[in-house]
Amino acid sequence: MLRPLNAASLGCLALLGAATALPCAAQVDPWEFEVYPYSTTPRGMAEFETDNAVVVDGHPAGGEGTSSGTVRSQGMLYDSYEITYGLTDRIEAAVYLNMAQPEGSGLQWAGDNLRLRGRLFDQETLPVDVGWYLELEWHKVPQFDDATRELEFRPILEKDIGRLSIMANPKFEKVLAGAGHDDGVEFGYAAGVHYRWARSLSPGVEFYGGSGLIDRLDPAAQQSHYVFPVVWGELPRGLEYNFGVGYGLTRNSDHFIVKFNLELERFVGAMLKASPDRGWIF
Amino acid sequence: MRINSLMVICLMTLSNGSADTDVNAKVFEIRFENHRFAPQTLTVAANTPLEIRVVNLSRERIEFESFKLNREKVVEPGATVTVKLPALRAGAYDFFDDFHPDVPEGAIIAK
Repeated sequence: MLRPLNAASLGCLALLGAATALPCAAQVDPWEFEVYPYSTTPRGMAEFETDNAVVVDGHPAGGEGTSSGTVRSQGMLYDSYEITYGLTDRIEAAVYLNMAQPEGSGLQWAGDNLRLRGRLFDQETLPVDVGWYLELEWHKVPQFDDATRELEFRPILEKDIGRLSIMANPKFEKVLAGAGHDDGVEFGYAAGVHYRWARSLSPGVEFYGGSGLIDRLDPAAQQSHYVFPVVWGELPRGLEYNFGVGYGLTRNSDHFIVKFNLELERFVGAMLKASPDRGWIF
Repeated sequence: MRINSLMVICLMTLSNGSADTDVNAKVFEIRFENHRFAPQTLTVAANTPLEIRVVNLSRERIEFESFKLNREKVVEPGATVTVKLPALRAGAYDFFDDFHPDVPEGAIIAK
């Protein structure tokens, strides 16, 4: 028998559900169809990752669907390369190179990200495992975004129930430079439920969305919401994958997207000493 | 998966890999030395939260990992880490060293 969920756990799960059910703003990030779990890259480990998404059935004009710039989403290949390093047992740092290949065109630079992500306490210390995510983004304008620089913050929430992991990443984005600089904070989400069936192959379902500014939501039809049934697991030599097909749920969403993420972790050497066993932030 | 888990339990029992531990304890210890975990089978009480202290007595860096339990921790040579686990449903839960695929996989048996 699983430990019965206490009132605090249920409260946190309700909050988590409410956060992902809210009409959410902020652009969906098509370079990263990934839901972050609570766990971080272990100290001294480097993770090499590539996230890829192809818009099979998208929109014919820029600024619609997954496109935030002048280039249309139809036929677009989003391609990101990421290196993540475990600074401590609870904090990781990452750099991203985002590329894009519009239909009928070559692969080109679309932006870069710098990210810090951490987890608070150890698993099972809180009723819901909590982490944080802070990212600075640069975009190539006007082709792939209308904002030059953005700051993104996400609380990361995870609850494991048996072999089920329920994860939610509500997203809060602020434009630092470019169009929308004077606007408020956008709100979006990435969320998922993963079932640990077998190391090599497990199922899950992921959700991504965004619908504008917190204080000025876009009309429902102009918001973007996607559901991705996924399979994930580990291939030989520790290569991890996540493959999914995404269906747009609103008129503004792209209609059909295929994503394929690959990652590989290796120990490269620790720069900082081990985190205290019962610490909570570092 | 269930058949695999049963096979692991049977093989470990036959090979005397089972733990001589107090099933009702809440803190357990798994040591890593001579390129293997000891005990390889750890029996714990089901439905009770527990902690596992993973002690790395070897000169190798290991990553204590359990897929079913969603746990993953690097353990430096000579170091000890604590892995907290929720109350487990009765059954078998894998653990292994993700850095060394040749290290025999262990199992936590909750009953």
